[in-house]
Amino acid sequence: MSAVIEIEGLRKTFHSLRNGRRVAVDGFDLLVETGQIHGFLGPNGSGKTTTLRALLGLVRADSGRMAVLGEPSPQLLPRVAGRVGAIVESPQFFGNFTGHRTLRLLARAGGVPTSRVDEVLELVGLHDRGDERVKAYSLGMKQRLAVASALLKDPQLLILDEPANGLDPAGIREMRDLMRSLAAAGVTVLVSSHILAEIQLICDHVTIISRGRRVAAGRVDEVLAGHDRHEFLVRVAEPERAAELLRAAELTATVDGGTLVVGGATDATVISKLLGEQGLWVGELTPLRPDLESVFLELTGAGQPWVPRQVDDSALPPGGQGDAVIDLERGVDA
Amino acid sequence: MNLVRAELERLFARRFVQLMVVLLALAFAVTAATTLAGSHKPSAAELSSARAQATEARQSMETHFQQCLARRNGTLPPSDSELYFPTDCSEIDPIRQDRLPIAADFLPGVFSFAQQAEPLLYFLIAFLVLFGFLVGASYIGADLNSGGVVNLLLWRPRRMTVLGAKLGTLLGTVLALAVAASLVYLATFWVIGQTAGLAGRLSGDFWRSLGAVHGRGMVLVLLASALGFAIATLGRHTSAALGAVAAYAVVWELGGRLVLEIVDAPRPDQLMLSSYIGAWLTGEARFYDSQICRGDTAGGGYCEGFYSLTWAPSLLVLLLLTGGLTAAAFAVFRRRDLI
Repeated sequence: MSAVIEIEGLRKTFHSLRNGRRVAVDGFDLLVETGQIHGFLGPNGSGKTTTLRALLGLVRADSGRMAVLGEPSPQLLPRVAGRVGAIVESPQFFGNFTGHRTLRLLARAGGVPTSRVDEVLELVGLHDRGDERVKAYSLGMKQRLAVASALLKDPQLLILDEPANGLDPAGIREMRDLMRSLAAAGVTVLVSSHILAEIQLICDHVTIISRGRRVAAGRVDEVLAGHDRHEFLVRVAEPERAAELLRAAELTATVDGGTLVVGGATDATVISKLLGEQGLWVGELTPLRPDLESVFLELTGAGQPWVPRQVDDSALPPGGQGDAVIDLERGVDA
Repeated sequence: MNLVRAELERLFARRFVQLMVVLLALAFAVTAATTLAGSHKPSAAELSSARAQATEARQSMETHFQQCLARRNGTLPPSDSELYFPTDCSEIDPIRQDRLPIAADFLPGVFSFAQQAEPLLYFLIAFLVLFGFLVGASYIGADLNSGGVVNLLLWRPRRMTVLGAKLGTLLGTVLALAVAASLVYLATFWVIGQTAGLAGRLSGDFWRSLGAVHGRGMVLVLLASALGFAIATLGRHTSAALGAVAAYAVVWELGGRLVLEIVDAPRPDQLMLSSYIGAWLTGEARFYDSQICRGDTAGGGYCEGFYSLTWAPSLLVLLLLTGGLTAAAFAVFRRRDLI
């Protein structure tokens, strides 16, 4: 598969008189290949939007190499801009224009046939509300309009920054279906979101960023598998006795109320056999699979309960200075 | 071309632009209505009387001048010795006056187009300069502040083209509006002069002079529009342009002028932008400076104490200022992080 987005060693520092120097993105890498629905995750202030802005030529990178659809960005971005649909954060539209007029103006500015406006309004579910002024739109409707603007160009690459912002559950589901249908039609989608369950449902690949550095990248199932501790939840009549038996067999076992969390077993049958031989019959034996949320919280250091987390408290990549990242496609980068 | 068409639609859809156009129409309507209400077509008797008064006034000026010459030659009758005469009689030479009394000066309540067209045009130019500056500043300021420019750059990632299209659209629109408004404005007052007042003497010189003021006024409107656009681009906000102008006016035109007067600096007016605006618009502006005559009057010679700023250097100053700020705005916008 060919690369649609390539970012290598992206670095961006912001300077201000009041706050001094702040590194927003620090040697970040991203690879999105044709046909992927690629999730881009990171805590608030981790550098997601700065990365997307740099990629789209809205902020100037200090260093690094970027390419979009094979063209160096931002130098030759205009060559491929007609094939890239993007929304970055929540776009602001002119409140006095109707949704239809807003899109018509963008279509005109971008040299897109205005007949496409009705098509995209239909796609995002705004067809019947296209003649209303944007200032009368709800947050979710504005978000739909933003997605519609990104779709106007019939893009090969769609970059969506938090597209589910303000959407109701039905809207989130429609957005998910829309992305799937676009991907099925051959559109590559890069989507950043905080709704991790959505990303897990929609995306086939994921990149996680923390404090401006990549901390994980690869297929979603492989990223999850990389954090699978092979633990099982066991419900048994005598948990304390069961735990002793399992520990004696060099497994880890933690009693949690009436259940056990058992680690170190390669197979559930090992646990079942060990306990069954001692007359302890297992009522429940469930593998504990990590989900994207737990992996995200672990990697970004955002998982401490009851501790108010500051935006700059996110974890650095393994190695302290971010020298190594988990990349299941390339192995561990040094 | 598509970008310019889209920008045109955006510009005309702006509430602020619509409001300013309404204010322009309102100011125009009020001025025209009050002029019309306060003027009447002079009767033959009124005209005859006014012409007689004008002739008398011109004769009086000539007599006064001749008396001045007579006093200089020592032939002034003793009965006239109480009259006041300037040291230099040429000051009151009727031939050297800017204008001589005419009949229209003696027709109270009668609007004379020939007499009033120029001041009326200055008023309109002042309004259009304000219009251009505010529209220019708000057009880009609001777009930068609201993220409209970012939206556009996602579609056309060519910053110079996008900003250039905006500036070009702004200048073209403001110029078209200003020319149309001023022509309709002058035509309306010409009709009022013809039907409910006096047209006056509309000679070739009159139209040439009025055309020159109009042309210079249009240039000033364009410069003001570009200036508002440039400062708002540099400051990322409409209020940056308004603040910069207010600060300049208070700190330099008022405060700076005061300080220069206290320290008795020579020719302080030539350090003020307002002087160059006035000189450009009127063709020439004269300023008094007491220091000019120091030394000259020691030998008893005559010294006026005035110096002039003409339109050519004034245009250069205005072009340098506007061009410099516009170039700076483009250079900054080219490299700026749009967040």
